[in-house]
Amino acid sequence: MEPTLEQPPIDVELHRRLVYGDESALRDAYAAYGALVRRVAVRVTQSQTAAEDVAQEVFAQLWTRPYGFDARRGSLRTWLSMLAHRRAVDWVRSEARHRRDARADDSALHAIPDAGPGPHETVVDRERSLLLHTALAELPRSQREVVHLAYFAGRTYRQAAVELGIPEGTAKTRLRSALRKLAESLADPPDPATARGA
Amino acid sequence: MTNDHDGVRELLAAWAVGALPPADAGAVPRHLAGCESCAAEAERLRTTVRLLDGAPGDARDGGARVGGARVGAGPAGQGRGGQARAGERGGGADGVLASALRGRRPRTPDVAPHARPYAAAVAGLHALVRELPGRWGTPVVHDWDAHATVAHLVAADEHLAVALGIGARLPASRIPAGTPAARAWELRTADAIAHEHARTPEETVATWAAQAADLLATPEARDPGAAARAATVMGLGLPVADHFVIRAFEAWIHTDDIGRALGIDVPPPPAEHLEQLVRLAVRILGLALHDAPPVLVEVIGTAHGTGWVLGADAEPVAAELTLDPVDFCLLVGGRYAPDEVPRGLAGDERAARNVLAAAASLAWL
Repeated sequence: MEPTLEQPPIDVELHRRLVYGDESALRDAYAAYGALVRRVAVRVTQSQTAAEDVAQEVFAQLWTRPYGFDARRGSLRTWLSMLAHRRAVDWVRSEARHRRDARADDSALHAIPDAGPGPHETVVDRERSLLLHTALAELPRSQREVVHLAYFAGRTYRQAAVELGIPEGTAKTRLRSALRKLAESLADPPDPATARGA
Repeated sequence: MTNDHDGVRELLAAWAVGALPPADAGAVPRHLAGCESCAAEAERLRTTVRLLDGAPGDARDGGARVGGARVGAGPAGQGRGGQARAGERGGGADGVLASALRGRRPRTPDVAPHARPYAAAVAGLHALVRELPGRWGTPVVHDWDAHATVAHLVAADEHLAVALGIGARLPASRIPAGTPAARAWELRTADAIAHEHARTPEETVATWAAQAADLLATPEARDPGAAARAATVMGLGLPVADHFVIRAFEAWIHTDDIGRALGIDVPPPPAEHLEQLVRLAVRILGLALHDAPPVLVEVIGTAHGTGWVLGADAEPVAAELTLDPVDFCLLVGGRYAPDEVPRGLAGDERAARNVLAAAASLAWL
């Protein structure tokens, strides 16, 4: 079964209510997109706690700066999904920074081997995952939108095309270019220091 | 359906993220079984997606794919950030919404229906003001920049504030007694702009916001009975409830002015507020047209779907005018010339033009 497609007029009406300070509009936005925002955040951060923080930030931003969203430039679904993703990537970077600092303190004081995150392979996968999500956050908006709809929001490429108002072939091509670019970033990391938030 | 090599290759990315429609789903595995180069590409993309998933080896099944808890200890949901902990922290809708609403945006006060359009318009300008840092000098309307436009609103709202016993926030102006209302209005705005230009835009916004909050905290904003008394503001004797609607009208029109200047699409007020603005404007317009040839004016989307006959009531209707509510308000607000406003027209064109010209010349703002 294919999920129901977005009706853009709903976004326009929701945005209007948000702009004019109607708190029930924020509840409606959360009911419609809260699960997606959390899903995106959990996938990047691997943490329910972090996802909670990200969801709070995302919906606080929607409420305090409703003009950050422009209904002429895309759907509220993709905008919130992309915002959640960027915030989640920032969360992981700062988390990594803190862990590294803590470890540096630790080894300086006690020189105890790191007992933390488990098998080496998992750590490497974790870093590669962050590298990929960082690369995803830096894709051109047109490609990112398709990835968010097809990957995070569970749309087929056809539904994504309808939601974005682009031909199916264009949706396929953008998805392919995006995924290839991500695969290449794995093979050839641009600057690992940036990805790890140094 | 798609069996050819090129067709399947096009689908590989969608396949890798699980975004193939059912009709296309079978073609990919069939082709991969016999095509080495596509199989290699498919494997590369799948590996990429598995890493994006964060949990190597997990099936892609939407909600269940929240794993990756292997980074910490134990299975998903019990690791370093499990459901239980999110719950303890007041997680879920309530936690997220309560936290969002605590953000730096004033709550919209709970007021009587006649003051709701103004409360909403104030919230709307608050929202737009957040986009203004660094752009306060943008020319907006007349010879005002964005800063001066907010200063004008301080002066414009002040007339009602004074009528409701709220002390003026700006230094008094020296306006000779007997100055006509429209001229006094202009002078007061000029003084307000000169005064506010010596301050920061943030200070001007704070002054405007405090005065608006005071207006919305008056008994007249909360009690329809108190708002029924007449008051003369700017030479216009009307119930206080109507003055609140006019304040909403002006705040929205100037917010829209600022939005246009910045290239930001300011949405029109919610439908029920727009209708309150339309109804008041029609009533005032009707007074101005009491002996003109009668014209049926229909404003699209008003609750009863009916129109108003404006003009002398003895004669048969000379023309019918149909207008969009936002366009009608922009006309009354002086943002459309009478011959520019989009409208439907039947009957005597001169009679209809007379109505449009009268609407434009209400010149509230």
